[in-house]
Amino acid sequence: MKAIVRAIEYALPEKVLTNEDLAREFPEWTVEKITEKTGIDRRHVTRDGECASDLGVQAAERLFASGACAPEQIDYLLYCTQSPDHFLPTTACVLQDRLKVPKTAGALDFNLGCSGYVYGLGLAKGLIETGQAQSVLLITAETYSKFIHPGDKSVRTLFGDAAAATLVQAAERGDEAIGPFVYGTDGSGAKNLIVPAGGMRNPRTAETGAVQEDEHGNLRSEDHLYMNGPEIFTFTLLSVPKAVKALLEKSGLDMDQVDLFVFHQANRFMLDRLRKKIKIPEEKFLLAFENFGNTVSSTIPIALKEAETTGQLKPGMKVMLVGFGVGYSWGANLIEW
Amino acid sequence: MKKKDFLLLIEDVLEVDEGSLNGTEALEDLEMWDSLAVVTFIALVDEHLEMSISPEKISAAKSVSDLLALTGDKLND
Repeated sequence: MKAIVRAIEYALPEKVLTNEDLAREFPEWTVEKITEKTGIDRRHVTRDGECASDLGVQAAERLFASGACAPEQIDYLLYCTQSPDHFLPTTACVLQDRLKVPKTAGALDFNLGCSGYVYGLGLAKGLIETGQAQSVLLITAETYSKFIHPGDKSVRTLFGDAAAATLVQAAERGDEAIGPFVYGTDGSGAKNLIVPAGGMRNPRTAETGAVQEDEHGNLRSEDHLYMNGPEIFTFTLLSVPKAVKALLEKSGLDMDQVDLFVFHQANRFMLDRLRKKIKIPEEKFLLAFENFGNTVSSTIPIALKEAETTGQLKPGMKVMLVGFGVGYSWGANLIEW
Repeated sequence: MKKKDFLLLIEDVLEVDEGSLNGTEALEDLEMWDSLAVVTFIALVDEHLEMSISPEKISAAKSVSDLLALTGDKLND
């Protein structure tokens, strides 16, 4: 019995933030400059009261409506988010009830960002291939916009909210359709992409909520998302090419035996540099951020779904997925579509 | 890579006229030297000089010459 990715659906909030909106608020950046550097035209952002789990429910309901499977078939629910509904209970438990997944199903949250999809596939594969589950519903959902101070253009231009639902199922086949995997972790980079306050280590107080202006004129407090762009970029340049090389070695494949590369869709600037550094041909390198921005753990499934819709992703293709970011955490794996 | 060719690339990042930088300029006086420019500088060094410079060292740089000095012996006259 082997695990396969059966279907993907995604959901976006209705509210849209365009480059025109941003250029009005930050006159030092033009629409053209934002487009050129980020490659992003628009991001979807949640309104007050609209949670990551609400987007997750929409994505999962689309999956059920597509006929891929019925809620009663799901026997394990994996929910990847850094924006849970509550500290407790586990959001995946709440989702079991909302989605009418059977009470005999297992459900858990796991907290990862941009590497989350690869890790989620790794967990789903483990559950299925050890006989613990038959149909795993993997939901990735994130609302970084709620962590971002409106006056912080360094992150507001990049991140968008979204959720994706992926059905991973057991199939009768001999060779593996998901894997192999390589993983990586470096917690020394924790401080470079962080919401410093609001957890147990540093609870929210009046002081943590005090807004400060940084040297580039961006506004934020310790309650908000902080990203050290140069550090994150440097980490990416050092870790991603190594992960790609390690996965090729582990799988015994050459670069040209991989049909499509789907990296975490951070932004154009970062992906261009990575693609050139690793020497991946342009036609094999998927780009899907223009209409979504960086949606954290949902960028890879959204890119896969888009590529399936446009016909760029075809059955039988060997695809390399690479997730990397907050933690630092990274992972790469192969899937056969 | 020649120092003057690398300066041309930095001029492009900072959106200043070609040949207008001589190295003595203070970074804080250059309007376009922001976090995005730092990231672009890291990318240039990675692409053209195949080296990685720590962002901490870049933020400690005060002038264009300081930036060039971070490339060690990778640039020649």
